Amino acid sequence: MKLKTNKEKSKIKERSKKADEKQRNILEMLQSHGAKIYDDLENGQFPKFSIPSRSVSNIVYDKKLRQYILGSNSAVRSSRNSSQLRSFTQLMWLAFFANRLTQEKKSSTLRDVYYSSQAFAIEFEDQSESDNIIVDLEAVTSKPREDFHIFPEERSSIFGDLNIEYTIPGYEGKTMNLSNHPDGYSIGPSLTTAELVDTSAEIVIAIEKGGLFTRFVEEQVDKNFKSIIINTGGQAPRSTRTLLKRLHDEMKLPVIVLTDGDVYGEHIAMVIKSGSANAAHLRELTVPDAKWVGVWATDIEKYKLPTIQMTESDIKRCYDLQKDPRYEDGIWKKELDVFLRLKRKAELEAFSKYGLTNITEKYLPQKLELAKSL
Amino acid sequence: MSLIKEKFNQISPSEFFYSNRDLAGFSNPTRSLYTAVREFVENALDACDQKGILPDVHLIIKSVDPEKSDPKPYILTVKDNGPGIDPEHIPLAFGTVLYGSKFGLKQARGMFGLGATMAILYGQITTNKPVTVKSSVDGQTQDEFELLLDIQKNKPIIVKHNTKEVSKKGLSVSICLEGDYSKAGNKIRDYVYETSLITPYASITFDDPKGEKFSHPRFVKDIPPPPTIIRPHPHGIDVERIRRMIVESQFEIPNIDDAMIEKVRKDLGLSVKNLSFTVIMEKAKKKWKTLSRQVRVVIALMSFLKMDFEKLNKIKIEEIDMPNKKLFYWDFGDSQSKSIDMDPESPYFKQLTNTVQGEHMTTFLTKRFQRIGPTTALKFAEFAGFKPEKRMGTMTNQELVNLSDSLQKFEDFLAPDPSCLAPLGEEPLEKGIKKFFNPDFAAVVQRPASAYSGFPFIVEMGIAYGGDIKTGGPHVYRYANRIPLLYDEGSDVVLKVVNDTDWGRYKIKGEPPFIIVSHICSTRIPYKTAGKENVADRPEIERELRLGLQYLSRKLASYMSKRGQADMAKKRANLYAKYIPLIATFATELAGKKKEPNYKKILEIENVDESQKIVEEKNEVENK
Repeated sequence: MKLKTNKEKSKIKERSKKADEKQRNILEMLQSHGAKIYDDLENGQFPKFSIPSRSVSNIVYDKKLRQYILGSNSAVRSSRNSSQLRSFTQLMWLAFFANRLTQEKKSSTLRDVYYSSQAFAIEFEDQSESDNIIVDLEAVTSKPREDFHIFPEERSSIFGDLNIEYTIPGYEGKTMNLSNHPDGYSIGPSLTTAELVDTSAEIVIAIEKGGLFTRFVEEQVDKNFKSIIINTGGQAPRSTRTLLKRLHDEMKLPVIVLTDGDVYGEHIAMVIKSGSANAAHLRELTVPDAKWVGVWATDIEKYKLPTIQMTESDIKRCYDLQKDPRYEDGIWKKELDVFLRLKRKAELEAFSKYGLTNITEKYLPQKLELAKSL
Repeated sequence: MSLIKEKFNQISPSEFFYSNRDLAGFSNPTRSLYTAVREFVENALDACDQKGILPDVHLIIKSVDPEKSDPKPYILTVKDNGPGIDPEHIPLAFGTVLYGSKFGLKQARGMFGLGATMAILYGQITTNKPVTVKSSVDGQTQDEFELLLDIQKNKPIIVKHNTKEVSKKGLSVSICLEGDYSKAGNKIRDYVYETSLITPYASITFDDPKGEKFSHPRFVKDIPPPPTIIRPHPHGIDVERIRRMIVESQFEIPNIDDAMIEKVRKDLGLSVKNLSFTVIMEKAKKKWKTLSRQVRVVIALMSFLKMDFEKLNKIKIEEIDMPNKKLFYWDFGDSQSKSIDMDPESPYFKQLTNTVQGEHMTTFLTKRFQRIGPTTALKFAEFAGFKPEKRMGTMTNQELVNLSDSLQKFEDFLAPDPSCLAPLGEEPLEKGIKKFFNPDFAAVVQRPASAYSGFPFIVEMGIAYGGDIKTGGPHVYRYANRIPLLYDEGSDVVLKVVNDTDWGRYKIKGEPPFIIVSHICSTRIPYKTAGKENVADRPEIERELRLGLQYLSRKLASYMSKRGQADMAKKRANLYAKYIPLIATFATELAGKKKEPNYKKILEIENVDESQKIVEEKNEVENK
């Protein structure tokens, strides 16, 4: 094993310090919330806290932040109100549970949370109720659930020359190069919390579909274009968006997004860039500089791609997005209008008409070149 | 010529009831045993009520042969501490159908004392055993009779009669009858139980054939005031009844014989000799106010005839023709009919008019009906289109019909005098309900007296919820004149009113534990059948029941909403008790403390400020 240089050692130290600090911040925040409730009880008062309203009327688009955020409306959730007592207690339990997870550096899926509650005589009707309470905790603390070691099921993956160092218990200090396994690495808790050490890549390519991801790996897009390839598996999960943001912010890598040539694909790119209304209470999930490079509506005509008729719901979705302030100008508006005019869509696989490698050999280079000017 | 001879038999009342005994509730051994119990117990209670005695009633049913299976003969005995019956009346009272003392217009449990005799008759038919009656009216001597009924002749046969010394007043009646206690037992026990609820001032004990003893001691010491016999109310009187009243109000011209003349002389305080017409008339003028009606009539006649006693003795009054002011008489001396003119200006003319043509209408109304004073009588005469001084004796048939109709329609009569009624009263009723059901809530109401067809009635009702009351309510306890009504409830007016009520409107839902007690008191309960088990739906009675029930239901509803609030508060308190400790546990670990906070103070705060709650709920809505 190669000896690490002093510089590397101090870097490692710094990284672990950073991770510890983040954990400490989370724990301190939870403790301060807990202490407030504790004091209320001790003083003979019904504990309560304020929670930002997540109603539609309170979700506004912030042009400066380039994402949806919650407005200033908030509601009081009080343990004095008998109809709120149950959800109050559930939220208290979740904070308590998140606190344990964070302290013990253990991770939990959303489903785990639902079942774990039963050990503490806290009932959730179903997982959607517990999921809702998790969003409540995010809203109160303005932290994504991943910070509390709560993760959704994994379905997205990553491949490329990126060295990471694990921080989860049992793997601390272990490093991994993410180009070692050609099927890619699933983006789970260990990867999301890992330190990003270094990379030779110069760009991140987020691609909507697993099939294309495999093709990109096969065709060595990582090496040929010095890139890290990420399969978002449809709409990118929070952990994937967090990772994209970190790759952009920490490793200073530009992010481009490649999707199917339809309105849903366009919106997948938009969510990576500026978040979703559902997560308006969170602010660290967006990559405002991410670029959508295709497949555009105009590409359908330009590349003479085989197309499929749009369904009624596709068209309705187009009209819905036209009302979204983020689609008011630029490429977003232009492409949406063309989709509506064509009433047809094309998948990434459509390039196979011109040969399996056409997309990586012809289309991708053009788009990468184009991205520089976007 | 017809060869068929039709034979008409006049049957006695006994015979009639013998062949129609199911009319009176003696249709089968089960029903008969129950009806017999009712008749004797009710007679005992009535007898005590009338004399203001706190009743002690002892009911005993024994099987003659306990080994036999039902239906079989039973000995039914009912003893009371009432006034007893004079020995000379006993054979007729217990050995004749339709002999009784209950024919006046006042409230009593039984009517006409018919049922007891029917029970005796039924016992005799089924077992051929006599009835045993023991009675003491003075608390010293007791007469004991054994009687059989001669059904054809409707006459008693005295089998045995003896007397002995006793120390207590009262009556004991014992009959042997075919019955079915295994089937009737439930009803009889219910009857005794329910009777003691509506007769809280009575002690009732029941020894049943299986050796069980049911004791219901009195829990109210005051007996309600006994009812009085009163005049009829003008509403609902019919033509026939008016005709009879007019006949009662008219006086016949007295037969002027020696005895009558002697009476007049004595009443005037005159000696036998030297009595001139003038002396007699002067004396009569002086003593007028003290004279009886008969005497006055004789004096009036004498004044027109201008005769002394001697002459008067020799004539016979034939006709008094008031409209033509003529007086016809037969002169025995001349053996011919004579007439004289009467002076209408004479004060004696009016006296004769009164006698012959009856009273003025106004006098008739005020004297013979309840609730009519002189002013009302005048108003009524105008309303009905009669002159106030109209003589009742001169009414034509058509006028009688008009009068009867107008009496029904005139609305200014006061409600009937309820003094002939004996409602239980709100306080004893409520006490009874509370004692019997131990409810969480009870309310009672006594409606003001009202009348149907001229018969006054009063409705008393009670309602109770929770406590010992079984679920599946409303359970309805029906009473009429302090008798529980147990059979045929489906067709009863009370049930109709209860079933018409939308209980959801009164916040009563599901299978609620609640009871309704209704008591209808009347001089005549409009039973649908002779079995006296269900009350017909007269609109006036239905209305009073409805109003009474509405009043009580509103009270119950307000209790229910308070109870609902209390339940809610309890529920909330339970929620706090469940969740606050959990919150405390989680907060303790979150805050990194060792000891749990003292949250007990919060749990003690039970009444959460409602207004604050509403504000918070509003916030929650916004949150969603």
